[in-house]
Amino acid sequence: MKPIGGIEVRSMNYSHKNVDIGVQAYQLGEEFQMLMAGPPPTGNSFTALLELPANQAMELLHSPGAADSPTELPLKRHHNMSHRSARNHPHDCAPAFPSNAALNEGATKYSGISTAAAFGGGGQDSPESSSSANAMKVKSEPMDSGSSPNSLPHTSNPTVASKNEKHTKRKEREKGKATNKKNKTAANDNSKEGERLPYVHVRARRGQATNSHSLAERARREKINARMKLLQELVPGCSKISGTALVLDEIINHVHSLQRKVEFLSMRLAAVNPRIDFNLDSLFTAGNGSVLESNFPSMVMPLMWPDIQMLGNEQECQQQWHLGSVNQPVWTRQEGHQNLIISENSLLSYDSPANSVSLHSSQQKMEI
Amino acid sequence: MRSPSSLKKEFLTKWVVGLRAWSSSSKEMGLLERKKAIKLSADVAMAAATNGTTIWSHTLINNASKDPNSKHMVQSILTSARARDQSNEPSKFPLLSPPTRCARNRVRSKKVLRKARINYIQRCSRRSAASLIAKTLVKKRTQVLKGLVPGGECMDESCLIKETLDYMISLRAQVLIMQHIAKVMELFNSK
Repeated sequence: MKPIGGIEVRSMNYSHKNVDIGVQAYQLGEEFQMLMAGPPPTGNSFTALLELPANQAMELLHSPGAADSPTELPLKRHHNMSHRSARNHPHDCAPAFPSNAALNEGATKYSGISTAAAFGGGGQDSPESSSSANAMKVKSEPMDSGSSPNSLPHTSNPTVASKNEKHTKRKEREKGKATNKKNKTAANDNSKEGERLPYVHVRARRGQATNSHSLAERARREKINARMKLLQELVPGCSKISGTALVLDEIINHVHSLQRKVEFLSMRLAAVNPRIDFNLDSLFTAGNGSVLESNFPSMVMPLMWPDIQMLGNEQECQQQWHLGSVNQPVWTRQEGHQNLIISENSLLSYDSPANSVSLHSSQQKMEI
Repeated sequence: MRSPSSLKKEFLTKWVVGLRAWSSSSKEMGLLERKKAIKLSADVAMAAATNGTTIWSHTLINNASKDPNSKHMVQSILTSARARDQSNEPSKFPLLSPPTRCARNRVRSKKVLRKARINYIQRCSRRSAASLIAKTLVKKRTQVLKGLVPGGECMDESCLIKETLDYMISLRAQVLIMQHIAKVMELFNSK
C-alpha cells in the first residue's frame, strides 16, 4: 500500500525513533499476540479492524527501517490526510496524558471526520493499536499498575500544550498506559518516545452516526467508563462484577453503608459521654503532652489487640489522665494542636494497612 | 496528591475544633442533639480537610453554614484552618451560595435530551431493547447516587463519578477516625 504524502511526512519525522522502538515493539509483540488471542470483550468492530493490522504490523516491524506506520494498511480508507499531517509533529510524552479539559476540546474538534485509528511513529504504534483492540481489557489493567509510573510524566509536563495535545483522544492515552505498563523495565525516555503519538483517529462504529455529537459522546462515555473502573477497584468486591448497573448498585450500597456507619458512630460517641467535648479535652490535656505520646500507643494497642498485660499500662494512663482532668484544660490552642498531632500520629500508625494503601492509590488515581 | 494520614490528621484537628465550638454555646443538649452536633462537626471537618476542589465538600459546608445553630461551629473550623495555614490556603471555602442555576439548566437540558434521544432512537432502530433497558437501569441508579452524594444533583455523570470517588475516600477516613475515637472513649469511660 503506497503511503500517501502526509504519511510520508509523518513517518519521516518518526523514522529516527523507530530503531529504538522497533526492538521494544518486537518484545512487546509476543505479549500482545497473547492478548489478542482472546476475543474482544465488547465486540467492537473497532477491535476487529485493528486485529488485522497488528499481525501485519509485526511482519513490518521485522523488516528494518520500517518507517511506515503499519496500522495504516487497512485503515486508511476514508480519512483526510491533509489536515492530519499538518498537526503531526513530534513532542514528548505529555500529550499521551492530556488533561480532561484537553480531551473534551479534542473531542469536539473532530467534526465531520470519519477517521481511522492512525498512529504515526512506527513500531511502537502497532502494539498500541493492537492494545486498543482489547481496548477495554487493557485499559483496566494499567489503570492501577500503570498509574504510578504514569503520574510521574503526567505531573512533569502539565503545561506542554501543543496543538497536537488537544487532538489526542483518551484511547491514545490509554494505549500509552498499556505500553507504559509493558515498558516498566525500559527506560523512561523510551516509553516517552513510544507515546509520542499525535492523536488517535477513532473510527465510527457500524451503524453509528458519525457526526461530531456522537464522537464527542463516545469520548465522554469512555471517560466515564475509565472512572467507573477506578471506582470498581476502590469498592471491595466490585471488580468481579461486570455491567454498569450492578457496579453502581455496589457503589451505592457502599456509600450508603459508610454514611450509616458515620451516623452510628456519632450516636455511639454521643452516648459515651455526657458533654460533647468532654472526652477530647481530657484526652488531650496540656500537661501530659509527652506522657500521651508514650501512653497513647499503649491505649490504642489494647483496642486493636486486646492484651491483658497492657492493663498495667492502662492504669498508669488513668492516673495521668485523672491528674490532667483535675488541672482542667487551660492549654492554648497551639499546644492543643501539638498534642493532637502527637496523638494523631500514634492513632494513625495503627490504621489497617489495606485501607491506607487503597486510599493512597486512589488518591493517586484522583490525579488522573 | 495528599497522603491519607495527613487527611486524617486534618480531619481530626478540625473535628476537635468544631466539637469544642459547641461547648461554648453552654446549653444542655440531649442525646439526639449531641449526636447531630457530633455528626455535623465531623462532616464539616471532613469537608474542610479536603483540598477544596470538590463539589460535595463545598455543598456540605454551605448547607451547614446556612443553619444558624451550627454556623459558628463552621466558622470556627474554617478560621482555625486559615489561621494555621496562612500562607498555603487563603480561603478554600469562601462560603459562596450553592449553585442554584443547575436546577434550571437541568430542566432545559432535559428537553434537548429528549429530542436528541428521539432522534437517536429513530436512527438506531435496529438497536435492541436490551440496551435501552440497561440504560434506564443505569439512569435510575445514577439518580440514587446523586441523592447520596451531597451536591450530586448539580453534576453530570462523569463529574458525579469523580465526586463519588473522592467522597468515598473521605468517608472511609472519617469512619476510621471515629471508630478509633469511639473505642478509646469507651475504654476510657469503662475504667
